[in-house]
This record gives sequence, C-alpha cells and structure tokens, in this order.
Amino acid sequence: MPLLFPRDDAIDVRHRYKPDIIKGDMDSIRTEVLDFYTNLGTKVVDESHDQDTTDLRKCVAYVRDLAPNLDKSNLCILVAGALGGRFDHEAGNINVLYRFSTIRIILLSDDCLIYLLPRTHHHEIHIQSSVEGPHCGLIPIGMTSVSTTTTGLQWDLTNTEMRFGDMVSTSNLVQGEKITVQSSSDLLWTISIKM
Amino acid sequence: MDVMSHSSTFLLPGNDHSSSVTYALVVLNQRLPRFTPILWNHAQVRVCADGGANRLFDEMPLLFPRDDAIDVRHRYKPDIIKGDMDSIRTEVLDFYTNLGTKVVDESHDQDTTDLRKCVAYVRDLAPNLDKSNLCILVAGALGGRFDHEAGNINVLYRFSTIRIILLSDDCLIYLLPRTHHHEIHIQSSVEGPHCGLIPIGMTSVSTTTTGLQWDLTNTEMRFGDMVSTSNLVQGEKITVQSSSDLLWTISIKM
Repeated sequence: MPLLFPRDDAIDVRHRYKPDIIKGDMDSIRTEVLDFYTNLGTKVVDESHDQDTTDLRKCVAYVRDLAPNLDKSNLCILVAGALGGRFDHEAGNINVLYRFSTIRIILLSDDCLIYLLPRTHHHEIHIQSSVEGPHCGLIPIGMTSVSTTTTGLQWDLTNTEMRFGDMVSTSNLVQGEKITVQSSSDLLWTISIKM
Repeated sequence: MDVMSHSSTFLLPGNDHSSSVTYALVVLNQRLPRFTPILWNHAQVRVCADGGANRLFDEMPLLFPRDDAIDVRHRYKPDIIKGDMDSIRTEVLDFYTNLGTKVVDESHDQDTTDLRKCVAYVRDLAPNLDKSNLCILVAGALGGRFDHEAGNINVLYRFSTIRIILLSDDCLIYLLPRTHHHEIHIQSSVEGPHCGLIPIGMTSVSTTTTGLQWDLTNTEMRFGDMVSTSNLVQGEKITVQSSSDLLWTISIKM
C-alpha cells in the first residue's frame, strides 16, 4: 500500500489502511506484519486447524456469518488479488464463486474482474465505461451451457450453446451501456479494467 | 486403456534434439516467463502470435542483461509471426521480416484466437517437422485478461489430441484426456510441489489418483463442490485416471 502513495510516509499509509480482520491458516503472514497490525487493534482469527478450505473460502464465510454490525441484505464481497499467479489458486477462488452462488462476490486483478451470473436470474449489467471494458467474455466454467442469450455485445448470443471444447465467448466487446444475459447454466462474466 | 506419459523435460536446461518429442514454441502477448530461453532451446519451430513478437523483441534482451540487445534479438528470432496483426508494432515487424521471419497475416479471420491460429499452423503446415510426437509449448498463456486465459484453455480442449502446455512464470497447465490413464513424472528440480486437478467445462464423476498428498479415489469433482486445488505432489510419479477431461496444473520453481 505505501508503494501506491509514494509521496506519503509509509507508516502513515499503513495506519490509514489497517484491516479489521486477518484470517486464514497463517502460514504466509510475516511475524512483524502480524505484530504491527495486532498492535493497531486488528482482530486476528487463526484458522490453521482447518486445512480443508482455502483462505478465501474462510474469509467469505466469515463476512457472511460473523461480521458484526454489517447490513448483509445487499452484500457484495470484493476480492483483490484473486487472479493470476498459481492457476490452482485461481481455480479455487473461482470455485468459491460457485460454492457461494447466492452471495455477490467479485474477483479482481489489475487487468479484469470476474463474477458469477447465476442461471436463476435474468441479468442486467450496467457498464461503467470510464473504468471498465470494452473487452469481455462469458465463460461456462463448470458445465456446458445449453442456451445463452445476450444483448449489448459485439457478438451477441441467441439461444447459443457454449462449452469448453467448442464455443466459449471470449474477446467479445461491450457496445453501449447495458448488457443483458440469460442462460440455462451459471456463467462467469468477465470484463477488462481500464484504470 | 492406454497409458499417456508426461514429463516436463522442456523446463530442463539443454537442447537434447535426440529426444523423441518434437517441441514447438508459441509466444503470446504476455510478459515472457523468465525461463523462455530454455523453452526456446528445446523448440524446433518458434512462432510468435501477433503481439508476442513485441514481447520477444522487448523482453528477451532483459533476460540477458549483459549481452547486447541487438545480438539477443538476432539469436532469438522467430520462424513465424502469425495472427491478426493488430498488436505487433511496425518496427518489430520490420526487424524480424528483415531477418527472414515469415509473416502470415490472418487478419481476415476474426473468428479464431491468435493461439488457435498458431496451433493449427504448427499442426498442419509447419514444414519439415516430425509431428509424430509433437508437443506445443505456449509462453505467456496465463494471467492478464481472464477471457484471454479462458480462450487459451479452450484451445487445449479443442485440440485435445495434441499435447499443448500453457506456461506462465508461476505454473503450467495441460489437458489429461479421459481416454487415457496418465503417468506424470515430476521433475522436482523445476516444478512442484503445489498442484491441482481442475474439471473445467463439466463435472468429473470419478477420478482416481496416486502420488498426491490428497489422493482421489473414485471421487466426484465439479465447480460448486470439490475441485482439487492446493494439492501437493509426493514423490516422483503421479497417476491420474478420470471419467472426464481434466486440467493438470503444477507450480514452477525456476
């Protein structure tokens, strides 16, 4: 975080950007980092006994169940640093979207964002063109999507089947301000970030 | 069911062209993995997909900081530049054209990705290449825009009878077709121990493995439920058999 504010004092930046919680199996956090934030009042929840679930899954479950004083009626969980790096980590993070399909969870990297479009809904995606797009895609990660229909894309789909091994909508382009998507399967929506 | 053997010998230094495997290298438009020179030395044909030529031009000299940049660019000259040509810089195109690189402009074909064009080229047209045991190495295949990454993974599924390895600095991915019993020989000096088996595109009703920290035994895997990630290789040989095509991924430690 101090690198993103090169003109500010590093310690000041770290005080301003203090997490509420540090949670996980604690096998990566450096001791001096843990001490620094503990001294500032950050709550530490050590889940090292639980080796069956990923760090992201633990954190999503925490926000969903235990975060105090949080109005969860319209909750959206933003996940920074979710993509790139080891592919098995990335796949595990994507699987968290499918496991918690009733919670809005957005995976973010420098280049793009991803979220789930559950098959249970007709989706309207309002494009913030100053910060995202135009490159986008619809990805049937977990299963064949027998039928998908879209509006607002350069290459719209009309009851189109999508599956790995055949057609997957990648390198598509948003046109205009609103995209609609309806599909017989859960899909991943992805759009480039232009910040 | 036949056994299909896998080994990441392409990550080991040396250019043992007596090996029975014919390697081709495709360079995509992402940051070059730091071990790209090792892949290059194993390859008998080297293809840049459009903007991949920019990466080769800009970044190969950075991997040889003590050498003259122009010398490095001469040494690492692609045989082919192919794609829709909307990313490659003019000076890069001219540089390699002047050195004899063949340029195949596919800008008329907007329906297929650059990687798909390059794989089809290597499979069908690459002259003088013994393709009986072909393996296509793809550098810069992961990271960046997720739709690009998904499109690259889809190329593995579309060309499921060709060995294609997607590589980044951090890991590699390849397809394990359901038609075979797989033996993966681990090169522990350059890869592992972190690994996973990912059922992209469909549920895998039954997978059985040996040699992993958390082996599977007729285990079902699907997105929304169990997917084998953050697994660990134990020892030198992994075996995998599955009712569906799976992606194998392992970390790279170079």
